[in-house]
Amino acid sequence: MEIISLHCLLISDCLKGGNMRKAEIWVSLAFIFLGVIVIVDSIRLGFMWGSAGPASGFFPFYLGVGVVISSLFVFSKAFAKYKKEGAGKPLMPPGAIRPILWVLIPSASMIVITEFVGLHIAAALFLAFYMRVVGKIGWATTLLVGIISPLSLYIVFDKLFLIPLPQGLWGAYLLRF
Amino acid sequence: MLENISNLMVGLAVVFQPYNLMIIVVGLILGIIVGVLPGLGGANGVAILIPVVVTMPPTAGIILLSMIYWGALYGGSITSILFNIPGEPWAVAATFDGYPMAKGGRPGKALVLSFLAHGVGAIFGCIVLTFFSPILAEFALKFGPAEVFAVMMLTFSAFVGLGGKSPLKTVVAILFGFILAAVGMDIVSGQLRMTYGTVVLMGGFNFIVAVIGLFGLGEIFLTVEEGLKVEGISTRIGLKDIWEGVKDVSRNPKALITGTLVGVWMGFKPGGATPASFMAYGFTKQSSPQAAEFGKGVSAGIIAPEAAAHGAGTSAMIPMITLGIPGSPTMAVIMGGLMIFGLQPGPMLFKENVDFVWGLIASTWMGNIIGFFVVLAFAPIFASVLKVRFAIFMPLIIYVCAIGAYAVNNRMIDVYYMLLFGVLGYFFKKLDYPIAPMVLALVLGDMAESAMRQALIIGHGSPIVFFTLPLALPLMVAALIIFFWPVIAPVKAKLFGKKA
Repeated sequence: MEIISLHCLLISDCLKGGNMRKAEIWVSLAFIFLGVIVIVDSIRLGFMWGSAGPASGFFPFYLGVGVVISSLFVFSKAFAKYKKEGAGKPLMPPGAIRPILWVLIPSASMIVITEFVGLHIAAALFLAFYMRVVGKIGWATTLLVGIISPLSLYIVFDKLFLIPLPQGLWGAYLLRF
Repeated sequence: MLENISNLMVGLAVVFQPYNLMIIVVGLILGIIVGVLPGLGGANGVAILIPVVVTMPPTAGIILLSMIYWGALYGGSITSILFNIPGEPWAVAATFDGYPMAKGGRPGKALVLSFLAHGVGAIFGCIVLTFFSPILAEFALKFGPAEVFAVMMLTFSAFVGLGGKSPLKTVVAILFGFILAAVGMDIVSGQLRMTYGTVVLMGGFNFIVAVIGLFGLGEIFLTVEEGLKVEGISTRIGLKDIWEGVKDVSRNPKALITGTLVGVWMGFKPGGATPASFMAYGFTKQSSPQAAEFGKGVSAGIIAPEAAAHGAGTSAMIPMITLGIPGSPTMAVIMGGLMIFGLQPGPMLFKENVDFVWGLIASTWMGNIIGFFVVLAFAPIFASVLKVRFAIFMPLIIYVCAIGAYAVNNRMIDVYYMLLFGVLGYFFKKLDYPIAPMVLALVLGDMAESAMRQALIIGHGSPIVFFTLPLALPLMVAALIIFFWPVIAPVKAKLFGKKA
């Protein structure tokens, strides 16, 4: 019964920005799950006394047990509160999910694009996109910052400090100096 | 005493080398900029620079890292006071009275008060650092694995029992940090742990990457969520402001002393600058005859939290260099820097790397003194950094974070982890899971585990070993009392409450 009602908490509300107590419940469940998989692996490794003192799984085993127990407390508190007082205030202020996604998705894309063209070129694209499309900043500034900053960071890191940054699949062909 | 002073002189000789002096000034300026920009804080500012620092000589490298921290401590307050935007969490308390005073027409004076308080807190922290750390290091030489583990227990108990937020969530955060630290190869047996057959997890989680994600991206998400509006108060600091600032500080000795003492104490025990500043503000307000005026721009309300923040910042160095236990996330990252250079923080550092330790302590003196004059002279210029549109510097911060995360181990996967930690940091903040103890657990995980395993081997498998050794016993008892304080306190109040 409780499990079913829990299930209904999910998806629909998450898209609207979710709310505090439901998020509380889900996060505590995630921690319980994490604790359980840690315990499982610790048992595989052995969590008792091994041939040379405590076995590999000894420390993680108790960490897992600790996470499960404390998260159960957090869960039951949050669930009781949810039953009694309802969903509570929203997790994000209304309308906040958009600007967050506008940061998250482009930066995630930057990382994926890095795999192909290297970090500096990907960052140049990311900078230009964010400044122009999201920030509505003028073309002149966008181009200036979008070109000068990756170029100077490339020179500082790759050339001066000799710290090689990811080149991706084709970055080495694109940046040849 | 005299020995410490002569050691300090040796350290100053290191610091006065032209290269190191240049590093100090560059580090401070970078640090102040890091402090001013929201989303780029002390901890991840230091973390991003670690790959660069590795190419330098150890002393210069660590000086650079610590300068970022001192600069960020000074710089965080500038925007708190002028724009009501704390550049750093420890500068939040500075907005309570700093911004009203600035808005009321005295921005210059508010800044001077803040910097003076910072300076005094810093100097007091330096004095304690200089004279107390050698004693503590000498004492810590007697520590075996059981004692080391007990000290760590005490550290984490302090977060749970005195942290103020939900103790249960603090426990979860700490254990989560330890679990992340345990992923990968077990250093004792060589077995792979919690990798679940994947290659990706074999390398484990690097805490520097975690710091960059949690404190860098996580903060940025929070900042965009709130929307950043800069309503600037323009200012310059005139001689009159400085004169009145000095007068006001001398008129509020109580706020200054409370702030400094609270700060140094809070820095020494884990917690760091942020809770110290809030605590000092609270204490000063409570004991002040003009408590009702707080929040409207009284001098004492600026002096106390600012002195506390910087006192905590400098004294946080004490447990880091003497015990190898950082009191705050920023110190943890600096400690990470030390370890990359092969310098194991802890009591042996005072025996084996005398030049380095005293160079670092001397640089703390110099950095905080020079930093005071730098912010005093250039505060308005640093404040104008925030006039750059958020849409320009925010993607730049993410870009620089990605560079830092990648360069730690030259692994692409770390950049993905950084993003994940960013999202995690955002939810942790939202749901009140504390980030600082989690980061410390991730840093200290391996050390805590091996200390515990060694201690258990010494004790033939019995945990009694932690309670029979004369040095470990008081530490463990203290740790347990503090850990269960949230449970003990209400009981105690019930038993003795009516008498008090």
